[in-house]
Amino acid sequence: MINMGQDHKSEVGFRGALPFISTLVLLLLMQIQYRLVFIDNLLPFLSLIAVYYWSIFKPRLMPVTAVFLLGLLQDILTGGPLGMMALLLIVVRIFVVRQSSRFLEREFLFNWLVFIVVALVFGFATWTVASIYLKDTQNFWDSFGQSVVTIAIFPVVALCLRWIRSLLVMENR
Amino acid sequence: MKGLGHRFTSGFFIVLSLALLIFGSKNVVAVNSIRSEVSNFFVPVLDIASRPFEAVDGFIEWTRQVAIVFSENKRLRAENDSLKLAQIKSSQLVIDNQRFKKLLNVGEGKVNTIAAARVVSDSDSPFFKSVLINRGTGDGVDKGQAVVNEDGIVGRTINVGSSSSRVLLVTDINSRIPVKLASGGINMILEGDNSAYPKLAFLPFGEELSVGDLILTSGYGMVFPPDLPVGQVVEINMEGIRIKLSAKLYNLNYVSILAYDIIRGPVVSQEKKGTREPK
Repeated sequence: MINMGQDHKSEVGFRGALPFISTLVLLLLMQIQYRLVFIDNLLPFLSLIAVYYWSIFKPRLMPVTAVFLLGLLQDILTGGPLGMMALLLIVVRIFVVRQSSRFLEREFLFNWLVFIVVALVFGFATWTVASIYLKDTQNFWDSFGQSVVTIAIFPVVALCLRWIRSLLVMENR
Repeated sequence: MKGLGHRFTSGFFIVLSLALLIFGSKNVVAVNSIRSEVSNFFVPVLDIASRPFEAVDGFIEWTRQVAIVFSENKRLRAENDSLKLAQIKSSQLVIDNQRFKKLLNVGEGKVNTIAAARVVSDSDSPFFKSVLINRGTGDGVDKGQAVVNEDGIVGRTINVGSSSSRVLLVTDINSRIPVKLASGGINMILEGDNSAYPKLAFLPFGEELSVGDLILTSGYGMVFPPDLPVGQVVEINMEGIRIKLSAKLYNLNYVSILAYDIIRGPVVSQEKKGTREPK
């Protein structure tokens, strides 16, 4: 009970906004022009990694409202259909929160393995929604490639997010 | 009870997202207005965030230039000699061209450079090809204006805010640009399909193209001025004709926004001519 109280104490104010801010930063990083010919179609879903990570470890600090706003912002900044990323990221959050008790007790490798499935399904869903929206079958392999790059980069991003999470639990010691 | 509340919130936002997805494309004015306002807010942030990448790119380019400076100098000297000869020929052609246009009363296109803008954000999506630039209505930019860079055409403005605009790239699936073959003047349409190499459509029956042919804007559609470089034919097969664009859309730095208009000279009517004839 005392631990819970201390944990909540470290999660108010600026620190409590860290999951949202870190996801926002990753989202903005997705909008920058990297000036590389191959990255255009293979930019990883960085916002997916952040939503997945925070939904496991700090779901209270990554509520559905925040996920919706972040998804909507991504849709606006990418120029894609409004609501696409918001919808897909909310679905990811719901899935992860429902299964979170299983994630928390496991090793990092388990989380990564589950993320592989999540990223592949996410890529497929993105492709499906985009194809329906544009009324034209899009190149599936671009989406698959994005998922693969996202899976590959997951450990690096998760490591950064883990460091941010350590700021939230520091006061528990 | 708390779980029920969470479920309700999740359900509400799922329905809201679906509603936006389905009805968002129908209420274009409201959606575009929201997009513009949000983009205006984030453009300065993205502008600052993209500076380090621009600096790195600039440094790499500078290193590359230094490495090839001697060979490049030799090549440019040779090119300069041939260009001097070409300049003499072209000045004669310009005079001829002006004379013929005057005889035919061909409307002269007026091209205004509205603003130079910096590309601050790229959609970086395989399905939606657009960029954000840091100029908007406050700088005189309007919806549907041509966006070009020093290499060729880039796209056109589709959503304009007060200090930012979204540019639909020529590679986007919704992009259609009237173009022509530089050598023969055959008119076609350049269709984006979200790939790096857009397709050429509506090639007239009996006309032929070959790999390496230059493609220019035709000027039809009143968005792009005529004769701007578009690209080169790189592939011809059963699936269609594909071109490699002159502008490197993955590496856009600064672009120009153009307004194009046709100005026609006064037409001398036949009736008036008739009245002047001696009785």
